[in-house]
This record gives sequence, structure tokens and C-alpha cells, in this order.
Amino acid sequence: MERITIQPRNNWQSAVEKLGFGFHTTNIPYWDESAYYSFTMPEVLKLEKATAELWDLCLGAVQHVMDNNLYQQFGIPEYIIPLIEKSWTEDHPAIYGRFDFSYKNGDIKLLEFNADTPTSLYEAGIVQWFWLQDFDKSKDQFNSIHEKLIAYWRYLKQYLYDDTLYFTCLKETLEDLTNTEYMRDCAMQGGLETELIFIDDIGWDASREVFVDMKEKDIKNIFKLYPWEWMLKDDFGKNIAADKNKSLWVEPAWKMILSNKAILPILWQLYPQCPYILPAYFEADRLTDYVKKPILSREGANIDIIQNNLSIEKTEGEYGKEGFIYQQLCSLPEFNGNHAVIGSWVIGQQPAGMGIRESTSLITNNTSRFVPHLID
Amino acid sequence: MKKSKYIELVLITAALASCHQPGNKDWESGNGHTYIRSDSTAPYSPMRRNGYGGARMWYYAFRPYGNYNNGYYERAGYYSDAIHESANIGSNSFKGSVVRGGFGGGFSVSS
Repeated sequence: MERITIQPRNNWQSAVEKLGFGFHTTNIPYWDESAYYSFTMPEVLKLEKATAELWDLCLGAVQHVMDNNLYQQFGIPEYIIPLIEKSWTEDHPAIYGRFDFSYKNGDIKLLEFNADTPTSLYEAGIVQWFWLQDFDKSKDQFNSIHEKLIAYWRYLKQYLYDDTLYFTCLKETLEDLTNTEYMRDCAMQGGLETELIFIDDIGWDASREVFVDMKEKDIKNIFKLYPWEWMLKDDFGKNIAADKNKSLWVEPAWKMILSNKAILPILWQLYPQCPYILPAYFEADRLTDYVKKPILSREGANIDIIQNNLSIEKTEGEYGKEGFIYQQLCSLPEFNGNHAVIGSWVIGQQPAGMGIRESTSLITNNTSRFVPHLID
Repeated sequence: MKKSKYIELVLITAALASCHQPGNKDWESGNGHTYIRSDSTAPYSPMRRNGYGGARMWYYAFRPYGNYNNGYYERAGYYSDAIHESANIGSNSFKGSVVRGGFGGGFSVSS
């Protein structure tokens, strides 16, 4: 894994905007093609293997949480447990997830698993692939995200209700809308009838006890780019359990277990021999160099890095009231002051590609940059 | 590993590219207010500017609500961020049966 500095395309802004990628720059650049990461094929195969193995282990960990009724450690409300278990035993449709890895000195370590609402899908699947076509068409990329999404939606069609598949996200965020619309694009190409509805436009018909769209039509299948824990925090979320249609939510409710950082100590407890899993605990006193993470947090918020029992870097935020986990400190590989984290995608149960984000700080947060990659 | 040679996007490029076109300058810079209401049961109020305007209205304004009656769709009114709550006040049979806005806290799910 190497970081190569290059000259960005002259017209890179318009090139990516033509793809519908509008959030390439905010007050700071997000899409960064002044460099790329180069991987050897053996390195990519190693990442692919780790992704496949970890996915299997994660499924085992979900079963363990259910068998041992560990929901309390995840801060999951009791009323939603039957829905979680039903979605698991009935194998409700699930399509994707993103493992975040440190890949340093040949060692792959799992930092966390974004199993419910992973983003940067469009950058990884589309934008960096078109970058490669301009930069060097002869090279390959660890990236079959687009093909796998279309193929898996086509496969999932038989497991959805014979009805419209809705796609929903927050209203005023172009990043979320882009990811959601991209996913919808793939579903349409997979042969599904789709419709977009913003999350706060979803209606609850109290008389019939069903979710409805803006035209009062029942919602039976819905892909959401909106976390389960946010859906359940208000009373409105209780309607999910009361829903007479038993709508299929993608990702399904059991992903609440995997997207929660409480899964990290469970994975360590179950698979301490696994080379990809870092020691992690629910208690603070088991490690001296560690990262304190809220079980529910986003974009690197409320993270505290502790070395020799002293805090060396810390972020603020609004998370943490549900509890924390403590994971052994694993520094990211550094390239001239840039710390790179690999997001490795699982789509339809298979490794599907990767995207790399880098940050000048030790904690990857919402100021990180997406940098393309290729296989040399 | 190798991707296919051709990637087609049927929806996203057209829809999202429209979000980045410069807005209509007359609309954007006008000092006058635009008064709208959600339906005939509600009072008028000045339209809100939520920072997007222009082409973003394609997504955010005038989302109709209504119902099917004997196989025919009847539009009852519109929901919009551009419409002040006061302009949404009013009653009709559709507003009474469905609750909206229960989901939707937070700024972005970015992970």
C-alpha cells in the first residue's frame, strides 16, 4: 500500500459533477485526487479474504447476542427485540455494510463495522472508477460495487413484497441523498419499481396502522439511509412494531446489533484468535493504550484516544449516553502526515470493493478526504 | 475484481446534476416575498428560504398529499419545507388521519 502524489485532472470538479457527485468540496475538499493509493494484487486479495471472514464471524456474533440476550449491552429497547429476532430468523433482505480497517505493516485490523447506514458508497463505486478511466484505463481497482448492487437487488426482488420499493433519507443533506439515489438507481437497474420519499414525509395512518407515502399509499418495502437508533428514539418509532403490513425495512432490524460498537467486545470475546480483531472490552481498566468509543456514534464523534492512560486526542460530540466500549489502540498507517482508513464493502454477503479516506488527525472524522486507489 | 467496461446510471446523474445548476437569479435575489399555503383550508404565509432554492425546489417544494377514492386520486394539498407551519394549519379529512414528521431528526447519517 503506497500513497502516490499526482496532479489532479484540470477539470476534475466538472468531471465529478457530471456524475452527480455534488459534495466533492464543502468548506474543505472531500474528494481528493491529488494523490492515489496503490495496492498490489496480493494486498487486495488479503483485504478481500479478511472482509469475507469477518462477515461470517459477524453473523455468528449476532446469533450469540440473541442466544444470550445481550441486548442491554447494546442499549437496544426491549420492545423492538421481537422485531430484531423476527428479521433475523426470517432472513429479511439486507444488502450492504462497510468494514473500516487499519492496514499497517501487512496487518489488517477491524476498527468498526458500519452495518446499517454506511456512506461513501457512491464515491467508492462510481466516482473513483471514473477517475481511473481518466487516469489509467489499463489499471484495475478493487471495485465491483456497482455490479454487485444491481445483481443483489435483482436477487432480493423475490424476497420483497410485490410492491414499490421506497427509498428514504434525510431531506437537507446532499450526501445522504446522493447515496440513497445511487442505491435506488441500482435497484431500478435490478428490475425493481422504486420511489423516493424523504424520511420526515413518511406518514403513519393511525386508523389502519400502516406507514404511507405522500399519496396515502401503503409503504411495504423501504430502504432507509437513516439509522435504526434514530428511528426508535421517539414514540413514532414504536409504530414499526405495530405496523399491520409488517413492512420490510432495508437494512433489517437485526443490523442494529452489528452497527453498534458493542459488537466489538463481543467479537473479541468470541474470536480472540482471529488476526483481524482487536482486543475490546466494556470495561475501561483492561487496557492502557486504547480508544474509548461510544457504542453509538458517527463521524468520529466523542472518541478519546488514550496512551499510557493519558488522553492524546479527543473529539467532541453528542454521543455517549448509551455507554462506551474500549478497544486496543491501533494506529492507522501514516503517509506524509495522512492517516488512511480502508472502508471495505460487503454487498450481498460478498466482498465488493473499497474506498479510502484519509485524515491529518488520528481520528477519522467528517473532515476526512476520500482518495481513489488502483491496483498496480 | 475487474469491473465491467461500461457503467450505466439511469437515474442519479440527471436527477442530482439538476441540484447543482445555478438558480434563477430573479427568484434568488428578489426582495419581494412569495406567499403560499398548503391547501385552501390554511392561511397564506411568506415562503421560507431554506438555503437551497433554485433547482433544489425540484425536490423540496410542492410535495402533494391526498388519497385514492374509488380508484381516482384526489389531491388534498401540499407539504413543503418552504411552507410555514401556520400555512399548514387547517383541517380536511386527509390531514386528520395521517401523522407525518415522526422520523427525521439529525443532520446527516454520514459514517
